[in-house]
Amino acid sequence: MLQKLMLTSLVLLFALPAFALDGSVLLKQVDRNLNPESYEMYRKLINVEPDGKKKEFTLFSVKKGADRVAALFLAPASEKGRSTLRLGENMWLYIPNVGKPIRITSLQSVVGGVFNNADILNLDYSTEYDVKSVMEKDGGYLLNLKAKTREVAYDQLRMQVDRNRRVPVRIECLTEAGMLIKTLYFKDTKDFGGGLVRPSVIETDSPLYKGYRSIMIFAKIRKRTFKDEVFTLTYMPNLDSLR
Amino acid sequence: MMALRHRAGGRRRGPGPREQCRRLALAAAILLAALLVPQTAPRAAEETYSFDLSEIEKKPWHIGGYAEVRPVRYRLNPDGAFYKLRFYNRDEGDAVNEFNGRLQLEGSYEKGAGRLYVRTNTDYRRSYSGETEKTSIYEGYGTLRPGASFKLDAGKKNLKWGKGYAWNPAAFLDRPKDPDDPELPLEGYIVLAADWIRSFDGPLKTLSFTPVLLPVYDHVNDNFGTPNRINAAAKLYLLLYDTDIDLMVLVDGSRTARAGIDFSRNVTTNFEIHGEFAWIHSYEKSWIDTSGTTRSDTYEALSALIGIRYLTAWDTTIIAEYFHSGTGYSTEEMKGFYALVARGWQAYITGGGDALLRRALLVADGTYGRLNPMRDYLYLRVVQKEPFNILYFSPAVTVMANLNDGGYTVSPEVVYTRFTNLELRLKANFLFGGPDSEFGEKQNRWRVELRAGYSF
Repeated sequence: MLQKLMLTSLVLLFALPAFALDGSVLLKQVDRNLNPESYEMYRKLINVEPDGKKKEFTLFSVKKGADRVAALFLAPASEKGRSTLRLGENMWLYIPNVGKPIRITSLQSVVGGVFNNADILNLDYSTEYDVKSVMEKDGGYLLNLKAKTREVAYDQLRMQVDRNRRVPVRIECLTEAGMLIKTLYFKDTKDFGGGLVRPSVIETDSPLYKGYRSIMIFAKIRKRTFKDEVFTLTYMPNLDSLR
Repeated sequence: MMALRHRAGGRRRGPGPREQCRRLALAAAILLAALLVPQTAPRAAEETYSFDLSEIEKKPWHIGGYAEVRPVRYRLNPDGAFYKLRFYNRDEGDAVNEFNGRLQLEGSYEKGAGRLYVRTNTDYRRSYSGETEKTSIYEGYGTLRPGASFKLDAGKKNLKWGKGYAWNPAAFLDRPKDPDDPELPLEGYIVLAADWIRSFDGPLKTLSFTPVLLPVYDHVNDNFGTPNRINAAAKLYLLLYDTDIDLMVLVDGSRTARAGIDFSRNVTTNFEIHGEFAWIHSYEKSWIDTSGTTRSDTYEALSALIGIRYLTAWDTTIIAEYFHSGTGYSTEEMKGFYALVARGWQAYITGGGDALLRRALLVADGTYGRLNPMRDYLYLRVVQKEPFNILYFSPAVTVMANLNDGGYTVSPEVVYTRFTNLELRLKANFLFGGPDSEFGEKQNRWRVELRAGYSF
């Protein structure tokens, strides 16, 4: 009897982590470990061509709540003053010369290269995706995510998560039919202060752009709150005043 | 005849057309060669990336600008009414060359809730008619922003109302843009404008109200309309059920009263639809009938634009718009003008002097010579982003059709932005149309231009 009890206890003990692994909770942890829910940050985007030539962009970004994001181009000079705004699935681009915001789509790219607008104006993963399955793999976790709506840029994500830090290591972005669109690699974990320790570089490549890579480097990620009015078309030409 | 006499005595400035054509071809070849250079170098080894924080340090002031050179070659259309008007007393051969330069300087200074901004524009042109240079302040205004919900602007500013890409019938306080190059910066008007913004949860996400005062006096917006008036206008913007909606009004003043509405909405992530409607009260139109008599009429003018923007799975962007201009001329009204030019031309070549042509030239510099003077147009622009995986390379073709007379233009172009801050664009424009059609009566049959623009 005692033997049976010990055996059952042992089985339960080993089974516990698997039962405790709730994919939705894990995904929310991943989101919070990447950014505060409302924040400001700076990013550098580098497009690298097969011959090694590079083109760089610098952005200042702000986010509030689940679905409000805005980004302002600081460099190069040809892009300076451009800004992008996302409210849920609505996206706009403001170009100073054009003088008024125009609607853009998540699949376009305002910077060229492998990153598209959805990558640049990204929301929390848990806002856009449901967890289809979660499993342990390669010493971490593998989350299979499915877009909540058809408006989301990638229909499926395969996210490899670091077991200890609970941040992504690699994300494969797939179409509904399972075709790989691009892969994001999360690198160079860094302490950003305020308890935020996360990868400071995301590199991406795509079978659709063979030989090309794009890199996103993060700096000065800080928790900050904004008024809702910051995330409006009228405010787009004035985002620089937030810096 | 007189035209022949001018041909014999004509003197050209700078390099001849063949030389300029050769230079243009050389520039095009260099551009293409840059695109076609094989990119076979091996991928760089694993790199580390740095982000120098001094790059993002904010300074209270900013100075920058844009410089552009744009040589153009025009193939003339000797049968066109506008050719006869511009060239009746000179002979420039089959083609003319033009060199354009542009310099824009901008600066800003920000302190606390206040900001000053100025942008100047200098245009230089050397063409068959000589050299011209014009410098003006495109925008220069001060902004006071005590909070995120309120802003006050005073000075020269573009308001850019409307949602249309090629045309904006509801842009009551802006200068008309060129549908051939809708993204060119324009000169603003001196205004006092405020923005009041509110955000909400629910179907109405954003509401903003923009009241504007635009004075018209000597040397202050004096080309806007009747002088010695302060014009009041306003715009109400709503983001309602994921649709941008603007309601605009301009109160009777230097121009007659007008009201407008526009909208824009993403039907799907890659398909946007937009529209713009404008009503002009008591619009007065003057035209020339086929007998040469100037006539005028006052009526309620209604203009409308409806358009789409569609992105395909292959990164092709399609912009299509239909525009009905309530202030435009009918085919008959245009024929009256062309008949006047034809009579003037006939009188001139038979030794009757150029009085009629001069009269027609005055009319042409007014409403007949404006961009798209007729009633119904179709605009189609197709841009293919980075075909064959050539990054930063975007070919495009734009077609504009005049639905009233059947004429149309076709404009192929390639844009290359590989080099930081430098944009290269090679563009051609071919005009097609029969006699008495808008594009058939233009002074050119085609044009080709190379634009190199550098931002700093």
